[in-house]
Amino acid sequence: MKQFAEWLSTTSPSVFIQNHNSWVIPTIQSIHIVGIGVVLGSVFMIYLRILGWAGRDQTLRQTTIRFAPWWTGGLWLMLATGILMVIGEPVRELVTFSFWLKMSLVAVVTLIAIVFQISLRKHEREWEETFVNRRSIKGLAILTFLIWACIIVLGRLIAYDHVWGAWSPATKA
Amino acid sequence: MDIAAFLKALESSGLANRIRDSFFLFPLLESIHVFGLALVFGTISIIDLRLLGIASTQRSFKRMESDILKWTWGAFALTALTGTLMFITNARVYYHNFFFRTKMLLLVLTGINLLVFELTAGRTIHRWDTAPSAPRSGKAVAVLSLVMWISIIFMGRIIGFTTTRAAVTPAPASVNFDNFLEGVPSDGSGTATTPPPKK
Repeated sequence: MKQFAEWLSTTSPSVFIQNHNSWVIPTIQSIHIVGIGVVLGSVFMIYLRILGWAGRDQTLRQTTIRFAPWWTGGLWLMLATGILMVIGEPVRELVTFSFWLKMSLVAVVTLIAIVFQISLRKHEREWEETFVNRRSIKGLAILTFLIWACIIVLGRLIAYDHVWGAWSPATKA
Repeated sequence: MDIAAFLKALESSGLANRIRDSFFLFPLLESIHVFGLALVFGTISIIDLRLLGIASTQRSFKRMESDILKWTWGAFALTALTGTLMFITNARVYYHNFFFRTKMLLLVLTGINLLVFELTAGRTIHRWDTAPSAPRSGKAVAVLSLVMWISIIFMGRIIGFTTTRAAVTPAPASVNFDNFLEGVPSDGSGTATTPPPKK
């Protein structure tokens, strides 16, 4: 991975970002944070609805129809800006423990979201009437939100991968 | 006490020292700060889009406001707290940073914007509560809010690129001592600072 990162840092898009470092990288990072705001706000509303703490005038299905497109759109925006950040600073991103743990957690929450969406479409009545009242579902909503919080923390920790000590490949380099 | 002495006192406080000396406290504060602001921006933009008639147009505005705004304020408190804790570790540097000042100005302006809303469209909610969008003054407030919050995010991010951070970070093996010296404040006081890390 280190070799790949070093090779990537010599390609022309990467060199372009490196040469315009002073404004390109903060701008991309800011758009990335706007994206996480959109995603977190959207999933937060869906979780609050599952927990019954907000949006009770709306059905679960209405809530997901309102917020899921923003969730997906925000995620694409983050993927695009995220890829640009990796191209711009490949070694800083790819040779860290935080980055790979973050990506694994992103895969986990995305999978949970897909399963939830499919299940809600198939078993809409059960979801609205019984599933949503189940403790296990409410617990899963809280757990998933906490995973989102970890994803954000890990995203920021890419810049401080030394906090992981020996787990960080960056400290070995 | 004048401002310079006040900032210096903040920096030399026990709490500031504790954060500076820690291996992980500053990164952790910064991470929680990002989490908080993502929630602030995410929830406030839901309200703004409702005012503009772009999303949630069938829902009562009052209902949404009471559902959402308490979370926005909670997240804002978390963000302000972690922001303050980061500020005191290097108060003099942040205080003189252009982007930090612009960010603080924008935060004040979002407060005024909120006040303007309360005095205009906010007074007549009963008339447009179930309408798909707010009256013109409400829409103007929503656009300003979105623009200002996105600018605040950008200002906040660029502060990290334009300031030195006073903290104990292990220097990489390749560190050049000359670069290291450039990070020391010109008045020669305070903790030795590392060059701005690539954040």
